[in-house]
Amino acid sequence: MEEVPIIEMKGIVKVYPDGTKALKGVDFSVKKGEIHGLLGENGAGKTTLMKILSGMLHPTGGKIFVNGKEVRFKSPADALANGIGMVHQHFTLVDVFDGLHNIILGMEGHGLFSKIDVEKAKEKLQKLMDELNFQVPLDVPVEKLPVGVQQRIEILKTLYRDVDVLILDEPTAVLTPIEVKELFEVLRKLKSQGKTIIFISHKLREVMEITDRVTVLRKGELIGTVNTRETTPKELAKMMVGREVVLKIEKPPKEAGKPVLEVKDLWVKGDRGEDAVKGLTFEVRAGEIFGIAGVEGNGQTELIEAISGLRKVEKGKVILNGKDITGRPPRELYDLGMAHIPEDRIHMGLVIEMSVAENSILGLHWRKAFRGPLGLIRWDKVKEHAAKLVRDFEVSVPSIEAPAKSLSGGNQQKLIVAREVSKEPEFIIASQPTRGVDVASTEYIRNYLIKLRNENKAVLLVSADLDEVLQLSDRMAIIYEGKFVGIVKPEEVTEEQIGLMMGGIKNES
Amino acid sequence: MIEAVISILIGALTAMVPLVLTSVGATVSERAGVVNIGYEGIILMSAFFGAIFAEITGNPWIGLIGGAFVGMLLGMLHGFITVYLKGDHVIPGIGVNLLALGVVAFGITAYWGTAGQHQVPTNVRVAPIINTPYGSLSPMVLITIAIAILTHWVLFRTPLGLRIRAVGENPEAADALGINVERYRFLATVYGAMLAGLGGAFMSVDWLGTVTKQLSAGRGFIALANMVFSGWNPLRALLGGFIFGFFDNLSVWVRTNPEIQRIVPWQFVATLPYLVTLIIVAGIIGKVRPPKADGKPYKRE
Repeated sequence: MEEVPIIEMKGIVKVYPDGTKALKGVDFSVKKGEIHGLLGENGAGKTTLMKILSGMLHPTGGKIFVNGKEVRFKSPADALANGIGMVHQHFTLVDVFDGLHNIILGMEGHGLFSKIDVEKAKEKLQKLMDELNFQVPLDVPVEKLPVGVQQRIEILKTLYRDVDVLILDEPTAVLTPIEVKELFEVLRKLKSQGKTIIFISHKLREVMEITDRVTVLRKGELIGTVNTRETTPKELAKMMVGREVVLKIEKPPKEAGKPVLEVKDLWVKGDRGEDAVKGLTFEVRAGEIFGIAGVEGNGQTELIEAISGLRKVEKGKVILNGKDITGRPPRELYDLGMAHIPEDRIHMGLVIEMSVAENSILGLHWRKAFRGPLGLIRWDKVKEHAAKLVRDFEVSVPSIEAPAKSLSGGNQQKLIVAREVSKEPEFIIASQPTRGVDVASTEYIRNYLIKLRNENKAVLLVSADLDEVLQLSDRMAIIYEGKFVGIVKPEEVTEEQIGLMMGGIKNES
Repeated sequence: MIEAVISILIGALTAMVPLVLTSVGATVSERAGVVNIGYEGIILMSAFFGAIFAEITGNPWIGLIGGAFVGMLLGMLHGFITVYLKGDHVIPGIGVNLLALGVVAFGITAYWGTAGQHQVPTNVRVAPIINTPYGSLSPMVLITIAIAILTHWVLFRTPLGLRIRAVGENPEAADALGINVERYRFLATVYGAMLAGLGGAFMSVDWLGTVTKQLSAGRGFIALANMVFSGWNPLRALLGGFIFGFFDNLSVWVRTNPEIQRIVPWQFVATLPYLVTLIIVAGIIGKVRPPKADGKPYKRE
């Protein structure tokens, strides 16, 4: 007789209020005590499916069974009561509370008006931590803790509620390679204690390493569930993308030219007033891609914003083509030949409610080409421009009048790249250029960055995707806590070395 | 001289009551993430209805409770719009403030038949518990201090307070742990408005014994400012309210004292409550951060 699965989801459909069909009838089943991978590209519906299982979202259709019994979750509380807890990709912690209060929130003990018994909670948590063989500080506001520690607090939070099924959404996205290893140890420990773990990821390597079985989703549909031991990364990739994936990137060798961007002893503050960039010095030369790798939140955002005129420079200099541009406004920088593909396409790259045509001239709108008498915008020229970008860059759009939000992530990103390149820059900042982008668009964008390099442009690439930096860069820096741990050539280092450097450890060699 | 100081101190304790009650209430509401700028109107309406309740029943305490009840109703309206309908937090407050002006101006004439002002009879005003030659103290002063301390304790020591602060800082986090965000936000809003209502009724059936349409005189807004200066902290709001009351009374005393007026013009002293409250309270606490999700409606999808 077959064992009853601990989780069974049948025919799950989810249609969002805006009409997006995120899940089109997905079946999903998890056995007790296994680590089950949920694999798929961005937008495949992995997170939606798990948010339904954890009670955050209500399914439009379908049934959920826990230990063979049908359940209906109205809220996360119902899911928790059924032993299902989720650690979200964007942590759900109250920044100003310490770890302890974040963990006990909602389960503080008896009586809403009685005093919280901190000591008792501490004892219980200490026991939990001892069992898992890790420690986190419980009395420090979580905003002061590194993300890896915050993640452990999130995990403790679910375990404190005695969950049997722990869902982790892209848990490794914010971790250094070493932290990933430690996380995997914790997961194995949990498994040995009989917990069931659902591990959402789009990284094949990690899924191969940690899971027992894998379910693959694509565009809201179930592709299949396989035993990890009986599959290969290649097969999984094919299931995930729907075709053979070989990211074809061709990069001919090239001599770099004169420096286009020079950064000298740059200091920049973060949002909370802390030093985020601590005295960086580097240059990006013509015909070169200079990559910056590192775990997110180590000063990359502040660095890019300072270079592109969006954030105040505390100390130091930024020089573009020999001209000091420190503290100059963004518009002047565009006129001097800078272009910027920002890390957040929804909030910084596009005005999501505006049409493709309108978005296609953002930052170009003051140029003579688009201005008629009285300075009014010449919409005929704008549409021509938009149509050309869409054609040249193979952006798939319903029409150029359609709002940018109706485009897929990959096409939004291609539109931004097209627009920025149409500014005919000499220096391009590409920040997380392929984040959340489908494989085909990723390939297109990466090849385009190389094309720009071959045309003797200077490219500054910042990416949390280590493979991307390794693949594209001519030289690369590894950033940790606002400083470069080193500047290396990708072909001269191993991934292990870079992994260590991303954790702030300098190579002894 | 000593007499003057004692009388100003007693006056300060009395004047702080509506301010402190409203500040403490607003603190709880905003800690849960709900902004309400309608306290001015709530104070005014509760003063009006509180006086009516007191006169009908002949019992000032019913007047106070009735005022708090009117505050609760207005708080429920605000909570319903902002928390359950996910509406804007500022507009309903403006509405309540305007509504109060109309209702009270009309109500005074319609109910008592007097124009613009009504004197509450002494027999339905709250009797003082402490009488001194320099002034008397209402039991409401002690109740106010107790409310501030108790609210502080609940907010920072109990599960209820933890949840209120959680839904105001990060409602997603609270929701993910099964905390009913809407319920706590609604209750906090109602509590805040209730305290403001109690403060309003105190003005008509206790302290001033009169109802006019200018009765609130900006206290609802000053209370909000005091809440911010105090860093959303009930105990500091108590202190801030007292400092304000002290200098407010000092300026009244200067105004009635021709000898001092020869040295300092009373207009200058009249600005002191605002200046000193700002400097002292802001000086003690430095930079404060409002609750992160303050004024932001929470929708799950």
